[in-house]
Amino acid sequence: MKRLTLLLILVAFYTVLSVRAGLPEDFAAANENLASGHADEALATYKTLLTHPNFRTSGSAEIWYNRGLAEMETGDTVEASLSFRRALLLDPASVPARMQLTKILLALGLPVPDGWKERTSGFLHPEVMIVGGAVVGWIGALSLVVLIFKASRRRGLIALALLLIVVGHGASVLGTLADPRRTASDKAVLTSKDPVTLRSTPADSATESGKLDPGALISILSRNGTWWYVSTGLGQSGWIHANTATPLLSSSKAKGSS
Amino acid sequence: MNPTGTIKRLAVALLLPMTGFVSSLEAAEVTVSAELSRPQISQGEMAELQLKVTGAQQADVPQQIQTDGLQIRLTGQSTQVQMVNFKVSSSVVYSYIVMPLRTGTFTIPGVTVTADGRQFRTGELSFKVDDSRAVAPPPPSTASQVAQPPGMPPGIPMPGFQQRRPRPAPQRIDESKLAFGEISCPKKTLYAGEMTPVEIRFYFDARYPVQVRGRVDFGCEGILVERFPDPKQSREDRDGVTYNVLTFHSLLSAVKPGSLDVAPAKLDCEMQLPGGLPPGFDDPVFQQLMGGQSGFSQPKELSVKTSGLHLEVLPLPKEGKPDSFAGAVGQFDIDSIITNPHPAPGDPVNLVVKIGGRGNFKGMGAPVLTQTDGWRSYPPNDKFDSSDELSYTGVKSFDFTLIAQQPQKESPGCDFSYFDPTTARYVTLTSKPLPLTASPGGPAPVVAGAVSAPSPDSKPARSPATSHALKDGEPMSGITLRSWTTPVHRNEFLIATLAMAIATAGLVGTLAYMRVQAQGGTASSRRRKRLSELRSLLSANTADAGSSYEAALEYAELELPSSEHRDTLISGLTERRDLLKYGSGDLKPLSEGEHRELMESLKLTKAKSS
Repeated sequence: MKRLTLLLILVAFYTVLSVRAGLPEDFAAANENLASGHADEALATYKTLLTHPNFRTSGSAEIWYNRGLAEMETGDTVEASLSFRRALLLDPASVPARMQLTKILLALGLPVPDGWKERTSGFLHPEVMIVGGAVVGWIGALSLVVLIFKASRRRGLIALALLLIVVGHGASVLGTLADPRRTASDKAVLTSKDPVTLRSTPADSATESGKLDPGALISILSRNGTWWYVSTGLGQSGWIHANTATPLLSSSKAKGSS
Repeated sequence: MNPTGTIKRLAVALLLPMTGFVSSLEAAEVTVSAELSRPQISQGEMAELQLKVTGAQQADVPQQIQTDGLQIRLTGQSTQVQMVNFKVSSSVVYSYIVMPLRTGTFTIPGVTVTADGRQFRTGELSFKVDDSRAVAPPPPSTASQVAQPPGMPPGIPMPGFQQRRPRPAPQRIDESKLAFGEISCPKKTLYAGEMTPVEIRFYFDARYPVQVRGRVDFGCEGILVERFPDPKQSREDRDGVTYNVLTFHSLLSAVKPGSLDVAPAKLDCEMQLPGGLPPGFDDPVFQQLMGGQSGFSQPKELSVKTSGLHLEVLPLPKEGKPDSFAGAVGQFDIDSIITNPHPAPGDPVNLVVKIGGRGNFKGMGAPVLTQTDGWRSYPPNDKFDSSDELSYTGVKSFDFTLIAQQPQKESPGCDFSYFDPTTARYVTLTSKPLPLTASPGGPAPVVAGAVSAPSPDSKPARSPATSHALKDGEPMSGITLRSWTTPVHRNEFLIATLAMAIATAGLVGTLAYMRVQAQGGTASSRRRKRLSELRSLLSANTADAGSSYEAALEYAELELPSSEHRDTLISGLTERRDLLKYGSGDLKPLSEGEHRELMESLKLTKAKSS
């Protein structure tokens, strides 16, 4: 029983708190290069860092943020927007990343996301909401069981336990809905240097149905070989070449080379 | 006279109007057309694009029409109702002002219009802008452009129907008295850019029906004439003749200095003059039916003109022209507000500068922001709220979007300059900075107006200057590992949730079991326990005989199934117990033989009891 409790506590800690991976010397050196104006060198180091085995299943919002700064410094605004979007994916509550992304989108003439999901996840990290809410909800459930069987004057306490269940699991559901990672696998950013042509069918000879600006976030609705059927969420949809966009989450999730 | 032919003609005469009436009741077919007031203008001039939707009371049209090199904006709409040959049709005319941004030949794309639940698209229009200042006058209205002036009521105020087939006028009437026009402009001397009202009146002899065709044709090179709103209708007597009068009001402004001779305003119309009976209708019976009158008229095409207009246009003085002057001429005042004086860090601030008064609102530029250090600003959105139908007076709002680059306690100020033609001087209005609290570094803002849907031609900002301007963040230190997947998609979360569910269920089971145990267990367990005690008591045979029979009786009642044997056994055991209990009062245990017999009767063996 004690071992099970210890395991549960460890799992909860793992999901609530992020694992500190230390401060590699390369990261510190890259930061110094960036601060001293050597953005190219810093960018190369950040890209190398992101290929580290530690980042196969995890990511670091700090590295993606700094990489975005380096890309801005080198003039690659579109790639920088992708990096900031990835930093926000890992840490939606990161104010600096949101600020930089907003500035880039304004400069590119693209809409800035500002829905309830962004506001919610910007207010409190979805991870905290999901895991913390679940913990509170289960505490409420266990308390309710104990109160029903053991307590004598229990009406008020039962109401409190029910409140814990509703609030806790409600926060968990809300955090899940607001978590951008939930739908990130179907998102991509246009990283082509020129406006991308939307076509009515997956063929180069198909009629054009619109243009999309680089840096725009798109939803991948369907795939057909090297063609994607995408939607911008602003009423535009059509087929684009897959090589004109980069998925927000690559298949390996270690996107150092993307 | 052939009676059969007379009846046929009478039937035709009666059926024709009925056919027209029935056709007027039919559902109107929706049609959409686009038309330019002038296909060619000089740079600095403006033209008008009219989008006419016939057969629908309302339609969805774009506020702007995107054309490279042209700025085309919706300025208003008017409704027309027309009755021709007893057929009533209504149409809505949406007017756009076309302002060239450069010279060249342009193709205005087709406009998509939604009306009556369907989408329509107009054809493309060709439009030319040159800088020669020698522009051909507007072409006369074609047959396909036949329309009444904006807002003309059904069939014009004059009664009668229109005979569409042109025929020569059979009578000689003084045309100069049938219809004529007058023009009045209070100012004959004005500054370039200054707007002045103009009134144009057209008189029509009230005795004859009139169908107005086309629009008022007025203007010339060097002046801008605003769109004519709905004309006012009245009656007036001149030299003993009653005239129907159409009065048009508009504004004109000159774009270049010098003497200008503006050509007369012109309005084309068709007047129905009295005429004789056409061949085939000269039957006496028909004439009798029509009350002795012919009932037919001869159409007469007329082009009603006013006199010309001479204007002296003065240039705007160069002396004293402020840097913030952007073409506004008139009398204005200024006001400004901050719509969100306490935004969240990083959120934009909206500074709305309102310019009110009278003058050339369409030609005025935006105010100039001052004290903008530490602010990033974007070109303002403007909106004009007119307080008259000519858009001469009103308030124009310029909405500036500002983002603080450093902590700010007040907004930028702004200057707005205009030329006042009444005093012949430039005036600069100043709006002082407004108090607010804004700071950079907040969560993602949405910049109203500054953030627009991406245009197809927009290019990503890749210049080093832009990138440098964007970079103001410092690199983060420290690395925190975070998962790319949301917790609900991770195994550890699912395992933990499952474990909590099992733990809760286990807790429920445990507590429920404990409660039952505290209440002595279930009835079955209590029965089993009692049987076990009775078996032990009977097997031991240490109790007195009466107690043994008491136990045997209870055992039989609890254990043995209901049967005749059971009843017989219970009856025998009861009799023996009563005998021992109330009879001899023997307190000794049962004898060996009686104990064995009792155990066999209860089907209890040593092994079973043990």
